[in-house]
Amino acid sequence: MIQKKVCMVGIHGTGKTSLVQRYVHSIFSAKYHSTVGVKIDRKPVTVGNTDVNLLLWDVEGRTADQDIPASYLRGAHAAFFVADGTRRETFEQVADLRELVRSAAGDIPSIVALNKADLKDQWVLTASDRATLIANGFHTLTTSAKSGEGVEDAFRWIATAALSVAST
Amino acid sequence: MPDDGVPLGEGTAATSDMSVRELTELRDLLFGAERRQLDELRRRLDTAELTSDELAEKLPQAIVQRAARDKQLAIALAPTVESAISESVRRNPHEIATAIFPVLGPSIRKAIAETMSGLVNTINRAIEHSFSPQGIRWRIESWRTGVPFAQIVMRHALVYRVEQVFLVHTGTGLLLAHMPDESLGDADLISGMLTAIQDFVNDSFEPKQTGELRAFAAGDLTVLVETGPQAYVAAVVRGQAPETLPLKLQTTLETIHLQWSDPLARFDGDAAAFTTTRPLLEECIETVLATDQRAKRAGFRRFAWVVPVVVIAALALWWGTRGTRRWNAALARLESEPGLVVIRSERRGGQWHLTGLRDPLAANPALLMASRGIDTTDVVARWQPYVSTEPALLLARARRVLAAPVGITFRINGDTLSASGRAPAFWIARAQALAPALAGVGATNFSGVSPGLPGDMERLATDIESQHVLFAAGTDSLDASARAIIATTAKNIQRIIDAASSNRYDISIHVVGRADPSGAETNNLALSRRRATAVRDRLAGLGIAPVRLAVDAVGSNDPLPAATALERARLNRSASFVIQARPSTVPTSAERTQ
Repeated sequence: MIQKKVCMVGIHGTGKTSLVQRYVHSIFSAKYHSTVGVKIDRKPVTVGNTDVNLLLWDVEGRTADQDIPASYLRGAHAAFFVADGTRRETFEQVADLRELVRSAAGDIPSIVALNKADLKDQWVLTASDRATLIANGFHTLTTSAKSGEGVEDAFRWIATAALSVAST
Repeated sequence: MPDDGVPLGEGTAATSDMSVRELTELRDLLFGAERRQLDELRRRLDTAELTSDELAEKLPQAIVQRAARDKQLAIALAPTVESAISESVRRNPHEIATAIFPVLGPSIRKAIAETMSGLVNTINRAIEHSFSPQGIRWRIESWRTGVPFAQIVMRHALVYRVEQVFLVHTGTGLLLAHMPDESLGDADLISGMLTAIQDFVNDSFEPKQTGELRAFAAGDLTVLVETGPQAYVAAVVRGQAPETLPLKLQTTLETIHLQWSDPLARFDGDAAAFTTTRPLLEECIETVLATDQRAKRAGFRRFAWVVPVVVIAALALWWGTRGTRRWNAALARLESEPGLVVIRSERRGGQWHLTGLRDPLAANPALLMASRGIDTTDVVARWQPYVSTEPALLLARARRVLAAPVGITFRINGDTLSASGRAPAFWIARAQALAPALAGVGATNFSGVSPGLPGDMERLATDIESQHVLFAAGTDSLDASARAIIATTAKNIQRIIDAASSNRYDISIHVVGRADPSGAETNNLALSRRRATAVRDRLAGLGIAPVRLAVDAVGSNDPLPAATALERARLNRSASFVIQARPSTVPTSAERTQ
């Protein structure tokens, strides 16, 4: 069984935790976030004939006065960023967060989930914003914790990307 | 060699036949050996099967070679061997039983020994836990909580148990291997969290200066962590982890770093290469109970069962030997009695059989035994008479045989019989002649005996000394006849005092109190003193000068002789008188006035 460490990073309140909690195997309660600052879940994904267990290090969301501990990011095979499609500032911080991940784990496959896709009337991001992300080397997709839209795709992309990095 | 002159290649049939035959001959001569070898080879190639001879030659080597290569041979042979054995057992069980007996015997013994040792251990633990205050506490706890006693014991007796061991990749926090069961499910999540917690501690408390997180505890669970450059080992321990465990983990980790250095360096999420580390991790899994540890500390704990067994045995023995101990006490009493010798005693047919020697003057053995709680109807005793030379009996015999007057006192020192006091001259002469004939008497000394007294004094003294003031058993009160005897004696005493004075003798009257032998000797001695004192006081009241009177108490020692025991007892519940008179060195009043 192949295992991959994936760190999930986002601004506080982007719905990162609720995005994944329905789709992963979890034995730790949410209070780990406020105590240790990280909660580890497992997401099994099958890519072709290969079974992969993604170990998701769901790092506590970034707040104004608390940064993400770099040690939790170390050794990650892929990064899963979550931004809130209804709050532009969360999107704008992705690049900054990416630098944090890069300094801790190097250039690793990165995906940005533009979350809360169900709130279409409050959506503030434009097509050009996505183009910017793609130009910066991110894979992007829109997700919704409510409908589940894009979530499985996001994990499958990460698993595939992590495997392909390993094989090269 | 063809030498018949016919040229080769001549075309007739005869010559052709001839030449073929010759050629064959020639070939045989030139290449005979090689041809036979070739034929043999061809034959082998054609048949392609081994002969049994060849197989016999090759088989052992073949078996050795194949067995060294893999287990296929064993796998292939196993069913055949199994059915061969069962067939053999079915046909002739005796044969195989004989063959495996040397193996079976020791195995069975070993198995029994192990079972017994386990049983003893179990009993020891049960007793240890049942009899100790701790055990009682646990019983109460079990009763209170409703948890079975065995579980309570286990919970308390557990010193430590290494429940799980994780091998985790340091860089990623991904699980490399896990014991005891990798299929546990969430070991990967736990190992991730363990890594996160270490990171958390490292970040929070700057242990770069203090070292790394080595252990953390929650309740009776402790997680011990040994960190290496590529991987760390975490052991989940329930109970009190021993000091040696971290070292063991460290050694395991070092071995893994050494032998799996390449897979560790290239690790990218595939833990398949680390399944082979599991036997190493398994060695770290262990359970140690307090009873095991205590057994190591103090070997005698293994023999805890001995204590109750010994107590029970001692109680049974005490109960069973009560009669014997009582008998032994009675025997000891008999043996301490002068004039009694126990030769043999045994229990037979529900009765005690006793054989021994008894001096006729010795105390009654039946009474002595009865005084020690022995039912004498259960005793069959055979006493042979003998003569004892023990001092007490020797003195009694001397008094009896020599018919000593009351004024004579005997002593024995070694084998010398000494007499002192005053006696008529004829008695002294006779006693001196008879005494050496007494058994046990080697020499006599009668120098302390003064012969007779002058004039009336001898008659008066004999008269006084023949009086006995008798008492009722146990009392010192003077009845009417006693008072009458004292009154008569007082007159004679006054007369002898007067006679002594005129004969220039110093005289004193000893009132000797006695008691019969019943009762304790200390009581008897006191009683005899009270009797003598009562008589002395009475004499003083009748006008005898107290300075002339002395009190002697002899208890039941030195008893006065009598024909029967009853008479002897009566005669010795008494006070009697002994006159001591010596020629005076002090001048008489008449002389002083001269």
